[in-house]
Amino acid sequence: MANMLRKETKLHSEILNIENSYTSIKENADLAYREWCNPIRPRIDVAIDTSSMANGALEIKRELIKLVTERNAALDVSQNHGYGMQWLNPLVTITWPDGTSIVYGPVKLGNITDIIDEAIDRSGAALHLGIGLLSGEHSSLINLREHPFFKNEPDERRLIKRIGFTNPDSIEHYIGTRGWSSFARILYRGMTPDDVRQELLDGGLGGRGGGGFPAGMKWNFLAGASDSEHYMVCNADEGDPGAWVNRVILEGDPHLLIEGMAIAAYATGSQRGFIYIRDEYPLGVERVKNAIKQAEEKGLLGNNILGSQFSFQLEVVRGAGSYVCGEETGLLSSIQGQRGQPRIRPPFPAQAGVFMKPSNVNNVETFSHVPLVLQNGSSWYKEYGTEAMRGTRLFSFSGDIPYTGFMELPFGTPMKDVLESCGNINPGEKLVAIQSGGPLGSLVPASALPTLTLENASFVPYDAMMGSGGIVWVSDRTHLIILNEYISDFVEEESCGRCTTCHGGNQRMTEIFRRIMAGNGRREDEFNLKMIDDTLQHSNCVHGQFSPKPMRNLLQHFRHEYDALVVDRKDSTLTIPAMTQFRVTNTADRRIEDAVAICPVNAFKGEVGNRSIDDEACIRCGACTEIAPNAVVREARADISQSII
Amino acid sequence: MPLETEARAEIRSLISDLKPDDGKLLDALHRVQHRYGYLSDEALEVIAEHLKMFPSHVYGAASFYDEYRFDPPAATTVRWCSGPACRLENSNGIRDAMLAVFKLKELGDRTDDNQVEIINGQCNGACELAPLIWIEKQIEHKRDVVGKLSVARAIELARTISNGEYVEEGNETAF
Ligand SMILES: Cc1cc2nc3c(=O)[nH]c(=O)nc-3n(C[C@H](O)[C@H](O)[C@H](O)COP(=O)(O)O)c2cc1C
Ligand code: SF4
Ligand code: SF4
Ligand code: FES
Repeated sequence: MANMLRKETKLHSEILNIENSYTSIKENADLAYREWCNPIRPRIDVAIDTSSMANGALEIKRELIKLVTERNAALDVSQNHGYGMQWLNPLVTITWPDGTSIVYGPVKLGNITDIIDEAIDRSGAALHLGIGLLSGEHSSLINLREHPFFKNEPDERRLIKRIGFTNPDSIEHYIGTRGWSSFARILYRGMTPDDVRQELLDGGLGGRGGGGFPAGMKWNFLAGASDSEHYMVCNADEGDPGAWVNRVILEGDPHLLIEGMAIAAYATGSQRGFIYIRDEYPLGVERVKNAIKQAEEKGLLGNNILGSQFSFQLEVVRGAGSYVCGEETGLLSSIQGQRGQPRIRPPFPAQAGVFMKPSNVNNVETFSHVPLVLQNGSSWYKEYGTEAMRGTRLFSFSGDIPYTGFMELPFGTPMKDVLESCGNINPGEKLVAIQSGGPLGSLVPASALPTLTLENASFVPYDAMMGSGGIVWVSDRTHLIILNEYISDFVEEESCGRCTTCHGGNQRMTEIFRRIMAGNGRREDEFNLKMIDDTLQHSNCVHGQFSPKPMRNLLQHFRHEYDALVVDRKDSTLTIPAMTQFRVTNTADRRIEDAVAICPVNAFKGEVGNRSIDDEACIRCGACTEIAPNAVVREARADISQSII
Repeated sequence: MPLETEARAEIRSLISDLKPDDGKLLDALHRVQHRYGYLSDEALEVIAEHLKMFPSHVYGAASFYDEYRFDPPAATTVRWCSGPACRLENSNGIRDAMLAVFKLKELGDRTDDNQVEIINGQCNGACELAPLIWIEKQIEHKRDVVGKLSVARAIELARTISNGEYVEEGNETAF
């Protein structure tokens, strides 16, 4: 009895210690964040993320610092993450001592003086670049929450609530915005791993990287695994071209992911974790590593976290350019230093994962929702979304739309509303297809738009899937088979090579598409494509099994385009090289000699004033029509227009 | 055990803190390639020795991944984005035109004088700039992004790169 009492007291004092350690960390962080929101002097934050950098943000920041220093201005320069309107990058935010915070963009080198003037005296020098307010009020600017691009987002962002509002490299900002509080509370409230897993199961948090499998259920498998050495693995390989939603978290709020993983580790008895980040995200690697280091310094990762019995070591593994490593067992092999080949299952990761020890793999976003569910409760989490898919998720939108960027949307948001917020299809063009789910995803026909929502169930009737967040809008400007050829070639290149069905099947598929594109389609191509489809079903993993979907979609939903190509040998879009030709229509045009000069293969023949194009030499790149649109046309190729059938 | 030369010692110093059987092979390969621009036979041997693996395993694993290279890089690498948003902006035309300027047959090829190589790149989510290419100096770790390309602009860029006259635009990313 006395023994038990002593144990109780010891436990009690341990819990008190944990709470005290967290509270002291939090007090400092709250102070730091308050100062960030109401700085002593105005501060200019340049959004630094992959997209912003591609738009020249680093140079903007360098110049800003230079000029502020030169003018000896009473200003600070720091960084945040872009808010989501990527077509307006590079973005710059000014925050004044009264807490007003305005986002400007696109900020070019020539605008830097205006930005600095505005930061100093608020006289409106940069108003012409003003997009909206993050906080505070302004007579002529709206709050970004009212921006039409974010019309379909919840009133308050949830998963990405810190994006734009914090410096992603600062753990203080994270903690100062209730970060690490879910995890600390689990420890000082003495929540058991069972309690934590139950809370997630109640919330119905589904995986964001693959089939939407309930995270809590997967964690149960690992918690129940026999071996005592468990591993928690984050899939940050985000290989689907056109999807960059995980990147936003890695670069914009890496601490959130790390807290989610720490909670997952606690709930499953894992002592060690890996975050596997694709090679294409060097900034993500840097920011996540930095966030891990800061958490370690604060005693939130490592041995005896916050003085408790719980220890968790976390590290980053940088990928090296292989799509199939995103498949969870390929990922495990890759972490172990092997070829990233998907394994044969069983055994499943919960039985034999990294180093053949019980492991669990979740997507970046899955982990990142975890602290939120625990902080706000499962019913809060369920406020958005549908019965089958709870909550919100990040989506990235690109393609033939004016507004490229990312949004946090509830599952079930109508796609037609989403298209509207993307600014509709580019002027003069018509929506033809929606490419969702990456190369193993689908081509959904435009006719689906009225009923399509951001929920997988609405994609299913089209033999399609929503996938993991990347949506590409495709207009009638480009022939769809160009995407099909791209996808099958991609799948073949990225196949791990284990199954002949997969690498051989996709190679054959690519060859058939290329022959059709060369104007040599055959009646039996359809039969052969369907045979390849059947064969691919016998592949070992989803890479091979799902790869024929876009081809199937082409035959199912774009019959007219396919038949026109194969039977009539016609390409109404004039984008398939071998089915088109370039012809000089005006030899006297003043730009024709520029076209001659730009041609990369010297395809123009004849003297000045009498130019024509050698069709044999022309590679159909299109440069000449860009330069001399009134002198050269691209038209259907005359000699292949007869049908084969 | 091969003789410990100065070169081998330098390679070893890059990876000395990494432990065998600990999930450190990719890291070791990245570090060495970051330093030398590629993975020499000697480097693969040293890595194998240090991580207590067979050299054949190290090479077998490394050769699975697109980003590891086993020959010194060309002076300039053009990385062509193969992603979907770029395809919708005639990136195929850009690829074919640049190959023609460099007089190369396909992605992955390099010019005989080792000045230029053109490789397949993956979308990293700056699709508002589609179509785009990255122009890289592997040894210096410099990467320029050139976006919203036209075919004509791509040809002009390719010509300046071929002539060794390309000047960086400053749209660099960390790498
Ligand atoms: C070829 C292939 C590539 C994949 N790539 C990714 C990826 O990049 N990121 C990801 O989270 N899941 C990817 N997956 C799905 C994973 O296998 C796995 O289902 C997922 O990481 C589980 O996480 P979740 O339960 O949190 O969704 C891929 C699957 C396949 C077959
Ligand atoms: S289906 Fe393809 S990627 Fe998957 S194991 Fe087989 S060959 Fe490898
Ligand atoms: S399409 Fe390209 S290759 Fe053909 S003539 Fe025009 S510039 Fe030359
Ligand atoms: S498709 Fe080229 S940048 Fe996204």
